[in-house]
Amino acid sequence: MLRTEGRRATLGLLATLGIGFLALAAPETQAQRKKAPPPVAKEAPHTRVEEVRREQQPGAKEAVQADVSARNVAVTSSFNGIEIVIFGAVDNSQQPSAESGYYDVLIVVEGVPGRIVVRRKNNVAGLWLNTSSAAFELVPSYYAIASTRPIDEITTEEFRGAHGVGFQHLRFTPAFGQAQALSTEDLKEFREAIVRLKRKQGLYIQDNYNVAFIGRSLFRATIELPANVTVGPFETRVYLFREEKLLSQFTVRLNLEREGLERLLHGFAFRYPTFYGFMTVMIAIAAGLVASTVFRKAAH
Amino acid sequence: MHFYLPVAEMSANILIFLAMGGAVGFLSGLFGVGGGFLMTPLLIFSGVPPAVAVGTESAQITASSVSGAFAQWQRRNIDFMMGGVLLAGGVLGSVFGVQLVGSLRRIGLFDFFVSMCYVTFLGVIGMLMLIESLNTMRKTRGGTVAARRSGQHNWIHGLPLKLRFHRSKLYISAIPPFFIGVFVGLLAAIMGVGGGFIMVPAMIYLLRVPTNVVVGTSLFQIVFLTAATTLLHASQNQTVDVALALLLMVGGVVGAQFGALAGEKLKAEQLRFLLAALVLMVGLRFAWQLIAAPSDLYSITVPVGGA
Repeated sequence: MLRTEGRRATLGLLATLGIGFLALAAPETQAQRKKAPPPVAKEAPHTRVEEVRREQQPGAKEAVQADVSARNVAVTSSFNGIEIVIFGAVDNSQQPSAESGYYDVLIVVEGVPGRIVVRRKNNVAGLWLNTSSAAFELVPSYYAIASTRPIDEITTEEFRGAHGVGFQHLRFTPAFGQAQALSTEDLKEFREAIVRLKRKQGLYIQDNYNVAFIGRSLFRATIELPANVTVGPFETRVYLFREEKLLSQFTVRLNLEREGLERLLHGFAFRYPTFYGFMTVMIAIAAGLVASTVFRKAAH
Repeated sequence: MHFYLPVAEMSANILIFLAMGGAVGFLSGLFGVGGGFLMTPLLIFSGVPPAVAVGTESAQITASSVSGAFAQWQRRNIDFMMGGVLLAGGVLGSVFGVQLVGSLRRIGLFDFFVSMCYVTFLGVIGMLMLIESLNTMRKTRGGTVAARRSGQHNWIHGLPLKLRFHRSKLYISAIPPFFIGVFVGLLAAIMGVGGGFIMVPAMIYLLRVPTNVVVGTSLFQIVFLTAATTLLHASQNQTVDVALALLLMVGGVVGAQFGALAGEKLKAEQLRFLLAALVLMVGLRFAWQLIAAPSDLYSITVPVGGA
């Protein structure tokens, strides 16, 4: 299953590379193929001649477009994490070559926000147990940053704050009505603990040199979705920069969904819990009886 | 080879869990115990959320004890009256226990509580078994074995609500077996065990049930108690993973057959000594977890019910 997924990803990338190169020559072909046109493409359609001329003009407006190798990822029983390829192209690229570092690209992938409880252990009479806790809302289940260079070199602090880029700018907030009264200092520590533990679980990732240009206009990045990732929609935001200035932005969604046996069992367990429990007990009794008859026969 | 567990929500190596089921099955076949007290800790230490380990293990114990109970039933070694009273108490205890698991999870103290239970019960039972097996070994070497005193009256015979337990040849109050049942039910729900390690000694030493009936009756009670506990964990806490349970069952039943064969080659007191050592080791492992400074003071969880 995974291998098929990988092959599909490679095929997708190859196809898009093809489209990308075509797009360099004939931009309207690409506009037709993409479902969601970027903001700049909303202008009146250009003729091919105009487009080519514009591309050659210095100072023409650049636009970024992107897609992911798999928009729908199936979490089946064999799911053991998946690598997603994010690729994109810069329209009207002024970049002389892939290595010139003319543009900077920043990609942020964010999973479903949800509630998380973080607990702190304390030593009570020689034993370690959880003594204090804090609940946070809107904590992204997954959060990955990939960029051409370290984010503080390509963006301003102001931008990072406004767009929620970087672990310290994650927008999760303490839940209303905590179990205990907490000081600002405590909350800060709990907040840092969430980020630290999520990074340890491979769910929060920052990779500073992960986005690579593979041509004047094409770039790609790979992002790891580990096996313990929460299913749901993921938002992928792609930003294009030139000397700390945001030139263009593009958003694409990918969706992680339970499928097959995995979906069936999970849905069963959480939607019909009593029936599911009953079925489990029946399976257990049947398994025990079958085993005892099989082995009794084998013993004779 | 990996399998994504639907309730534990983790990708598990099938072979590792089959092997774990097999190893614990071997030991339970060897010692004639349920193996819950070994399996639940193993699951917890291998990264399965403790509540899921406890819930899933009760399903596996149902599977592993049903064949034993069936065999005992064919040999007419079950006191259904005694089993019924124990079970009535057991289900009540299990209902409380499952509720307690839910509340403890909400306040983040379940892991601590489970560790404390394991340390306490495995520590006490392990020590008692160790002393007893060492004594027996010393006595057999000396040539005399103390006969069990029977027919002795104790405070239990003064209690009301007397019932006639035909198979056990007893006429005693229903209150003690009922409360033994409640206690075992509580432990089954909280620790993910069958509770045989409490019930068997309690029946022998407190109720004075004849030894030939003890094992069958205990197995009968365990089958229905763990079945009820599985149902309760699944419906109230959604912490039973059927895929994980199945892996453990398959490994467990195969391992148990080999364990039983190996057990025939060892002497009873040697077996009890080894079992005592094993029980103490598991208890110490939990004690270590409680005492040693954790690598990270913080932990994160998605709140219960918010899957």
